[in-house]
Amino acid sequence: MQLKMFVLSGAAVALWLVPLTALDKRIGWHKSMQGLSLCAAIACAVTAGNIARMQAEQNEIEEIKSHAIIADVVDEIATSTYISQQQRQQEAEQILNPREHLERSLALTYSEDGESEPIVQKQLAEPEQNGSQNDDAECAERVMQLKAKGWGKAKIILEIWGVSKGGSPKYKAAEAKYERLINGRDNND
Amino acid sequence: MWAMYLANYFVAGCIASSLLGWLASLHPTSFRAIAFLAAAAFVIWGLCWLLDYSVSNLLKITVSSLQAFLLAVLAAIVIGAGVFLCS
Repeated sequence: MQLKMFVLSGAAVALWLVPLTALDKRIGWHKSMQGLSLCAAIACAVTAGNIARMQAEQNEIEEIKSHAIIADVVDEIATSTYISQQQRQQEAEQILNPREHLERSLALTYSEDGESEPIVQKQLAEPEQNGSQNDDAECAERVMQLKAKGWGKAKIILEIWGVSKGGSPKYKAAEAKYERLINGRDNND
Repeated sequence: MWAMYLANYFVAGCIASSLLGWLASLHPTSFRAIAFLAAAAFVIWGLCWLLDYSVSNLLKITVSSLQAFLLAVLAAIVIGAGVFLCS
């Protein structure tokens, strides 16, 4: 279309200038040829102008489309980035604060009776003294609660120890601890 | 492409002006008719300059666009008539 437009533009200029300069106005058929060529030149120029206008409108539409696609892609990337950032933040919180989870569960467990609150504080204040036994007991309790809710092993390990499923040493250690707590609880029962 | 569009219509205006000159050269009666047309067009052109704000509101275009259009029309007429007269 562009080639046609340029050809028509050139033809319009040629049909306008060439007969006017080359032909003699005093000769009858020259004069009529000049008139015909001027009419043809006007038709060529108007057609070329219409083609150029159509091309310009199509270019504008294409530009709007590409802008819309780019805006859509940017929005999608921003949304996925935001979501993945939230997920990473949650996972990091779970990994870094298993103790906080334990504190929360303890606070919920003992919040109803006021006398037990000092015991909880004492347990939290002296984790090194009798920490391992208390932690094991609390972990076992929490594991049994979650298991009673129907949670799977991997989800329980992720919740309590903050380790996602995989072949990492942390996950293996957490899995071993989970098995030990489950077996210990079964033996006690 | 918008520039090509405007340029082609400008060339069409120039050629139309030459065609009017050619028509005027055919016969004294056609010369008088074209002269009358040219005088009327000149009066309308001047009125458009004087009433540019009203005309731009009527045509729903900006005043600067109307002024550019009027100048382009004048240039096309001058160039077309000049080409015809000098050839």
